[in-house]
Amino acid sequence: MSAAALAKLLGPLVTVTLVESEDIGIVGVGEATLPHIRGFVERLGIDEAEFMQATHATFKLGIDFRDFGRIGESYVHPFGTFGEEAAGVPFHHYWLELERRGMAEAIGNYSLAVTAALAGKFRPPTIDGTLTSTYGYAYQFDATLFGPFLRENATGKLGVERIEGKVVEVRQDPESGDIAALVLESGRAIEGDLFVDCSGFRSLLLGDTLGEAWEDWSPWLPCDRAAALPCAHATQDFAPLTSAIAMPAGWRWRIPLQHRMGNGYVFSSQFVSEDEACAAISKAVDGEPMADPRVLRFRAGRRSKSWNRNVIAVGLSSGFLEPLESTSLYLSQMAITYLIELFPIDGLIDPRDRDEFNRLVDMEYDRVRDFLILHFHATTRDDSEFWNHVRTMQVPATLAEKMALWRETGRVEKYSDGLFYDASWIAVYIGQGVWPERHDPRAQLPQPAQVMRAMEGLRDAIAREVAAMPGHRAFLTANAHRLAAAT
Amino acid sequence: MSKARELLRRIVVLGDGPLGVLTAVALRRALPSTETIVIALPPDPAAFAERFGTALPFTNRLHDRLRISEGDLVRRAGASHRLVMRYFGGGEGGQQGAAGYGAAIDPAMKTAFAREWGGGPRSAETVAPPRSLGEVLAAAGRFAAPSGEANSPLADLDYALRWNVPSYRALLIGVAQQLGIHHERRRVHGIVPNGERGVAALTVEGADEIDADFFVDCSGSGAMLLSKLPGAEWIDLNRELPSRILAIGAPSEGVLALEDRLTLTTAGWRWEVGGRDGRLAVLALARQTADGDIAIALGSEPVGFVSFWPGRARSPWIGNVVALGDAAARIEPLGGIAQDLAHRQLGLLLELLPGRTIDPAERAEFNRRCALMIDRACDWLAAHYAAPAAAALFPGLERSPFLTRTLDQFGRRGRLPFAEEAPMLVQEFGAMLHALGLPQGEGPLAAAGAAAGETAARAFEARAAQALQATPRYGEWMQRVLAG
Repeated sequence: MSAAALAKLLGPLVTVTLVESEDIGIVGVGEATLPHIRGFVERLGIDEAEFMQATHATFKLGIDFRDFGRIGESYVHPFGTFGEEAAGVPFHHYWLELERRGMAEAIGNYSLAVTAALAGKFRPPTIDGTLTSTYGYAYQFDATLFGPFLRENATGKLGVERIEGKVVEVRQDPESGDIAALVLESGRAIEGDLFVDCSGFRSLLLGDTLGEAWEDWSPWLPCDRAAALPCAHATQDFAPLTSAIAMPAGWRWRIPLQHRMGNGYVFSSQFVSEDEACAAISKAVDGEPMADPRVLRFRAGRRSKSWNRNVIAVGLSSGFLEPLESTSLYLSQMAITYLIELFPIDGLIDPRDRDEFNRLVDMEYDRVRDFLILHFHATTRDDSEFWNHVRTMQVPATLAEKMALWRETGRVEKYSDGLFYDASWIAVYIGQGVWPERHDPRAQLPQPAQVMRAMEGLRDAIAREVAAMPGHRAFLTANAHRLAAAT
Repeated sequence: MSKARELLRRIVVLGDGPLGVLTAVALRRALPSTETIVIALPPDPAAFAERFGTALPFTNRLHDRLRISEGDLVRRAGASHRLVMRYFGGGEGGQQGAAGYGAAIDPAMKTAFAREWGGGPRSAETVAPPRSLGEVLAAAGRFAAPSGEANSPLADLDYALRWNVPSYRALLIGVAQQLGIHHERRRVHGIVPNGERGVAALTVEGADEIDADFFVDCSGSGAMLLSKLPGAEWIDLNRELPSRILAIGAPSEGVLALEDRLTLTTAGWRWEVGGRDGRLAVLALARQTADGDIAIALGSEPVGFVSFWPGRARSPWIGNVVALGDAAARIEPLGGIAQDLAHRQLGLLLELLPGRTIDPAERAEFNRRCALMIDRACDWLAAHYAAPAAAALFPGLERSPFLTRTLDQFGRRGRLPFAEEAPMLVQEFGAMLHALGLPQGEGPLAAAGAAAGETAARAFEARAAQALQATPRYGEWMQRVLAG
């Protein structure tokens, strides 16, 4: 992603060299994304249908969370809104008022994204300001195919030079301490002015070489392992959704790709062993396993600075947050975007640009962190040590303030930068049973029956739109046919 | 499960200037069953948030929401339209520049990068000098209100309004009367505390008390309610903003113009507002200046001086009292920023309107966002003193970390960091810095994307030509609106 974007955007000014080794595997096990990825793929000049076919991608309208707030309960965090504001009061306050009166249906009934996702339907949104423009979509794809697809694009179309080889030595400038060159097994030294560290958890340049400090977030996000297990599809059709299903010591993902179902148990080794986790995921999958469970290790946190000296870490080498909200590629994409915005002028790194980059990256990580912690902390589960721990732990002050505002008033702390706005917070709060003590008093002003009629009208309009949508699989098949016809 | 929340029973707004009446109208519209009382006060000459009849584009949206139509403002309050603010003297050698409003300032050239790469509406490099559709139309003396159609040539055009303050107030009073808002003219003697750091009632002449659940302090720079509460505290903004006195010129004959002016003089920034019912010049004195020099800088003999001390309330909402306008923040009114700030505070209050039980977290959220609003408005003003010629005339001023970062990024890279609760869009702020004569740098993205910049510039020219064709002369358009 980094090489392709740098070459595409700064092509005339920079020479981009991609150093990688076929011997080092890709961590990705199936990747669920956020809608932001579409802008990235599009701006690289990549055709969506071609990209989807190459990576066996499916569409995604949100994430289906099960058993997080309470066993047996579920909700969808959609890429879309719930209802519409009326008289300056957000929709969910009216919904809370009806709920108080025992008249409300599930809030997801007032979201086109939720209704379509649960019905297994998909159609791209419009941009005309009508009901059908109230949602977005993302992709679920095979991460082991995404990298090579981008690599081909970068080397074939954007002029990136790819060098195969393992880095065995990192040379630093003796005076400045900057990275001067990477030395490969072959003995070849690759010099550069700027090094983008995409080496994954190892953080070869930023962590290993420059020793950038690690900020540990595991007290709040104790999951430190994942047992991944792909399986065959158990059914012909699958919904345009990623599933996150709570487990006794963490949660498991379920990501439908065109050719298989990605599965994995993200767990805390404090509370369950690797063997137990592998057994649990093997038992949980609903299709024929396509391999043995593979265990990945990680820890939640981020580097104190993602840009130090002439090294910029992107992705796992910069920080790690478990994939509960599919934020991994988003965080990489944001770091790349900021790097391009703040790319050194005339080859000289200005500390002010470095500080600005680090400020922005920190803001992104911190906001995602708080949102993820909410999913664990906002629970009534007391059926395992893991859930007792996350339910009773002290959360960061920034999250405690957000939750206090919601609990007291049903309001969501407002910000416009970073990730996850009102609809996302509302989905999780309500979905996990975090009920506010009060809501906006103006929601009582209209007659409840009048509000009910308006909500029924919206629900019915959504139902009609969804009924007219094709099934997810049918849409994917039609897409593939369109591509085949075009080529 | 969420519980029912009792609606406010009675609200008292202290201050019956335009801000107080507008606030009462807004609250009554939001809570039709809540009794709303506006208490009269003598006008405060330092109430900059209502004394000068102009604001920024946010106010148009607020008026729309409150069903105060632009047509009525034009017909009954002398309203006219400002497409750009023209700046003189901020840069070297008699430099001048115009700053417009809205996303019509080079949308493709200024913010497309981050948005198109999935980053949303935030910071981005500028790849070409800013151009503004507003500037093109203002230069041609043409105007039409955007139709709201997405693909129209004026779709992204925005503007600010000016109005005649007494007529505007009269119009608002008419709306308030229709809504059944009570106007209390008895003099206020004091407050009765409620024992919870707030106010139970106001004592008025005749030994009566006016009790209420919620009080809004629109009393102007004295903050007559807020300042009496335990915990009320002011933060000085005097290290960033040098002006302590406004010199006000005599109103002159009205004019129909699409631009206002800000001119740097040796005494400070002169602001000229060109309304249909009269023009006004205001000089924000930024240093001690002899009387004769003040008249030269102002362009006429001053008819009044107003002293003030820039600052803001640390917590504009304490207990059951919320302060708006000058009662919450005392800043220079240049360019309509003080009134814009007051209106955005009112918008925030409408968003977070409480019930009879006021939740501490709600209050904290209002104060958090309000502080951001005020600080960014202060940065907006402080940017005027960062213009090269202004910085030479008035050295030694401090700048907030955000403004320091913004000026650095703009100067070296042509990039503007995003700010929460800022008074302007990133594009508008960039256009203003450019008009102020601040040198604009260029980052590698601009250099690498030069061809794209040229394409965008050509597209802009084509759209500007369409806009010119689609708009009549401003005078003709105004005649049509006045004719109903």
